[in-house]
Amino acid sequence: MKEQISLSHGDGGKYTSILINELFYKYFGNEILLKGGDSAVFSIKSRRKLAFSTDSFVVKPLFFPGGDIGKLAVCGTINDLSVSGAKPLYLSAGFIIEEGFSISDLKDIVRSMGQICKETGTMIIAGDTKVVEKGDMDGLCINTAGIGVVENGYMPKKIKNGDRIIITGSIAEHGTAIVLERYKIKALGAFVSDCAPVYNMISSLAPFYKGIKLMRDPTRGGVATALNEISASAGKGIRIYENALPIRNEVNAVCSILGLDPLYLASEGRVILVADPDMSQEILECIRSCKDGENSSIIGSFFDNSSSLVYMETEAGGRRLLNTLEFPMLPRIC
Amino acid sequence: MNKAILIKKIINEIHQSSIEKLNIMEVCGTHTQAVSRSGIRSLLPPNLVLLSGPGCPVCVTDKSLIDAAVEILKNDIILATFGDMVRVRGTLESISDQLHKRKNIFVIYSPLDCLELAKDKPERQVVFFTAGFETTAPGIALAVKLAHKENLHNLSFLTSLKLMPPVLHSILREKQKKIHGLICPGHVAAVMGAGYFRFVAGEYGINAAVCGFEPLDIASGLLFLTKKISSSSEAAFANLYESCVREEGNETARKIMMQVFDIADGNWRGIGEIKESALVLNQNYCCFDALKKFNIRPDKFASDQHCNCSDVILGNIMPYECRLFGKACTPQKPAGPCMISSEGSCSAYYRYWEASFK
Repeated sequence: MKEQISLSHGDGGKYTSILINELFYKYFGNEILLKGGDSAVFSIKSRRKLAFSTDSFVVKPLFFPGGDIGKLAVCGTINDLSVSGAKPLYLSAGFIIEEGFSISDLKDIVRSMGQICKETGTMIIAGDTKVVEKGDMDGLCINTAGIGVVENGYMPKKIKNGDRIIITGSIAEHGTAIVLERYKIKALGAFVSDCAPVYNMISSLAPFYKGIKLMRDPTRGGVATALNEISASAGKGIRIYENALPIRNEVNAVCSILGLDPLYLASEGRVILVADPDMSQEILECIRSCKDGENSSIIGSFFDNSSSLVYMETEAGGRRLLNTLEFPMLPRIC
Repeated sequence: MNKAILIKKIINEIHQSSIEKLNIMEVCGTHTQAVSRSGIRSLLPPNLVLLSGPGCPVCVTDKSLIDAAVEILKNDIILATFGDMVRVRGTLESISDQLHKRKNIFVIYSPLDCLELAKDKPERQVVFFTAGFETTAPGIALAVKLAHKENLHNLSFLTSLKLMPPVLHSILREKQKKIHGLICPGHVAAVMGAGYFRFVAGEYGINAAVCGFEPLDIASGLLFLTKKISSSSEAAFANLYESCVREEGNETARKIMMQVFDIADGNWRGIGEIKESALVLNQNYCCFDALKKFNIRPDKFASDQHCNCSDVILGNIMPYECRLFGKACTPQKPAGPCMISSEGSCSAYYRYWEASFK
């Protein structure tokens, strides 16, 4: 195989089929995909509700501590399905690649996508590759779409005053890892993206579904933005407590040096849950017993407020408004 | 004692003050942001008014320099700059407007990153556009020195580096402002020495304290100032940030800074020209001056007619007293620089303390 992606890899001819056979079939191989039809044909033996989601990934850098764009693209869609209470089954993957992109890098990315599929029992059953001329884009972007079956009768429920908000682990890990990598900042400490599938953790919460009113993954825009969305749709205010927020010291330190706010940095392997107050403690304990759930915490609750205000009681005992992120955070000067 | 309890005690003590009005200016944008972010602003009694000062580097970078950066970008060059600078508008356009025209703009964090960029692309001209005060200037000076040492002829600097004391003199000279106390920036003092701001008490009879940026540092500073203002004794000055600020400051940083820069008159956005308030490349390093290299003469100071940012950073009005605040001026669609920089007072007020929250 050529070492770099050329326009001929995307023209549907000889090199496209080399790419499909030697790369995509090798790492994604499953009986539906290998039929090689114009569309994947499958049946779902279920009368239950289906969940369907799509997301595009343009992360820079493409490789970061704890993952790469491929892992992110598969986890992203799997997690969107999972927080809807669905078991992810089938995915599609669309690649748009810049001419000249390293095939060995592409191989690493595709391999890590295959790896997550294997771990989660999902399959990539449809795909597409396009190559654009050099300079028309930066490297590579991936779109994934996925379909899943809603399990155990999960459904979102009406949020009431006093309902608790739980986060399943330390926040801003992905965002911090990306920022350090993007700006090539050498900071001592463990800065690894939390990018991971959350399906297993959510499915182990099945016995508590009647006490879980909503699940959301705080990706782009971070926890503060997700809480604002939840607050707006519930028509209720949210109060969170700074001293209950799981943020690792290293993450806090790096963010304060760079002038970033961890509440607005993405997590890629965490879930925000809205829980009935009577069951929130049991739910918390269940999450803490799961892999990656040990830092789970009840961070706040809903209160009645017609203006859907989200605010934080600070460690200093004051109050601070948490707006929706309005513009990308950029490292500050001093 | 736990920090939160200590802060609560301090705030309670501040509430005991019976003075009718306490106007305290926090000079530095980092303080403005920290006061809001930590929630301390929400804990203060109504008689204590915190006024923002001119210490946000992006906010005081004159429009003409943004225009110069936009002009330089018309050449086939790479522009490296700090994040906040990208979105501030000059007379007509911002640097981020040029992004859409596919110009090469890199946001960097460390001044030394511009050296790497220049080495990485020897065939291209790289311009580092930077703003800052005495805190940032030594790092920039080091980058200039290294560029000189390594003969990086494809690198030049467009700088808006400013000094704190001259602008403070110009603010404090106006007696009608009635500023009773000053929270002085700890990081500037860390470089320049604890005594750098002593003149505030000595010359103007205004109480002043050098403070750090943690909630406890700020609360302690406010208590110190409240007590001193309440007492009828002479104006006091204190270094409350001894963990980082030495009496002599950081001599190495100052030395590098003064090896590279001369002190010159400076243009402050919204304020105007202030004598001996800027740092400019001296004759040994003027070959690294981007304005000279690209033969650009920035216009003299041009006033901002449309927004009240200058009144905000001079402590004349509160951000929410500007008629544009939260309406025609939001972080998404900023009318003036104070809404753009994360250090800007309007941005801090908007982000953490919306009108509906009062």
